[in-house]
Amino acid sequence: MTDDDKHQAAGITRRALLRNAGAAGAAAAVGVTDVLVTPASAEAPVEQTRTSADAVEAYEHFTSEEAELLEAIADHLIPSDDEGPGALEARAVRYIDRAIGGALADSIDAYRSGLAAFDRYCRSSRDGSFMELSHRDRTSALIDVETGAATGAGAGFVGSSAAFFAMVRSHVIQGTFSDPFYGGNMNFVGWDLIGYPGVRTAVTENDQRRLEADDLRPYRRSAYEWDEFNKANVSNVRRRGQHAD
Amino acid sequence: MLLRCCLNRTFWLGFSLSVGLAVYPAAAQPAAQVILLESAVMADGEAIPRDYTPDGRNLSPPLTWGQVPEGTRELAVVCADFGAGNPPPWVHWIIYSIPRTASGLPEGLPITWDQQMPTEISGSIQGLNSWGRPYYRGPAPPTGTPHLYHFTVYAIDAVLGLESGLTREEFLEAVDGHVIGRGELVPVYERFASPE
Repeated sequence: MTDDDKHQAAGITRRALLRNAGAAGAAAAVGVTDVLVTPASAEAPVEQTRTSADAVEAYEHFTSEEAELLEAIADHLIPSDDEGPGALEARAVRYIDRAIGGALADSIDAYRSGLAAFDRYCRSSRDGSFMELSHRDRTSALIDVETGAATGAGAGFVGSSAAFFAMVRSHVIQGTFSDPFYGGNMNFVGWDLIGYPGVRTAVTENDQRRLEADDLRPYRRSAYEWDEFNKANVSNVRRRGQHAD
Repeated sequence: MLLRCCLNRTFWLGFSLSVGLAVYPAAAQPAAQVILLESAVMADGEAIPRDYTPDGRNLSPPLTWGQVPEGTRELAVVCADFGAGNPPPWVHWIIYSIPRTASGLPEGLPITWDQQMPTEISGSIQGLNSWGRPYYRGPAPPTGTPHLYHFTVYAIDAVLGLESGLTREEFLEAVDGHVIGRGELVPVYERFASPE
């Protein structure tokens, strides 16, 4: 039995696991079935929470359709719930979009073809776009992509669908928990989720005691706001329009 | 094309049944009593409807059983493909600790930990399939090769209090000596290069 399944069997929530594991552990732990709460109306179409006024923001490298689908996937992998915001609020997709312009430039083709294949797969297998599916069917569709089973007649993933899922999962986690400088973790949503108190270049004994008592006030600053991290170089990278690694 | 398809299915049914019987551990060989296992949506040698596969909604199929031996205290179901896995079988589903009062399994059992089992099978536990997942995942054979899927129901003569997360092998070891009845339903599934 994997650790993940043991946690599931024990009823440990995903958010509790993320808090205990930290972002590094979450990278290994977040799978599709770790969605925390299945709505009572799991078979009903998922209610659309976006209004036309705050619809899909403009992305540099994704079409509006691609972005809408990617946001829906991110929202399903790390959803917002009673315990707090998730990947959508953290703007994990904005992180991915910015990274496509730099460090993740080689992934753009994989995203284009993978998102298109996933859309085809949802429509052929479940008679609707991912956004039109019930919560259960969204979960089920993502499981099939994750396990490499989404290779039926209607999909056409380039290579295994599992590789596409692994890529998206990894980037959604990065976008939710990485330093906000990179475009995600909006308002430190991700750091708050796992109880990370923020970058500190010095930790006092009192800080440590407070941390262990879960009483340490979060210090919400990007690491790049510290002079020690060579702010001038960071600014130069930004002016050149490149994505800092 | 149709004749070749039928001949292939006949061959695979015979081959798979013989392989399936051969790979059961000797200690877990079923007792003489045969349980009648049926489904409202599929039959022996017939195609599994796509909604019970990843080509559709991938729901767990409904099952019913009858002629359960007297003395049965709980039941279990395993779905396995003896034409896949290294070594075979590839397990698609295992569910055990099903109460004796249940007459079958409804369609679409939970796929997330927070969903409750239906009342009529309350207490049932979904073990780990070959993907390491505690829920049903349907057939996804290579394109153009029909596979047979053995749905097997076991009648157990005791309430064993099995822990969660058992694999098929662990389950069979745990029920060794307690299986007093067994039934099987063997539908087929084939994926095609273009939509049917």
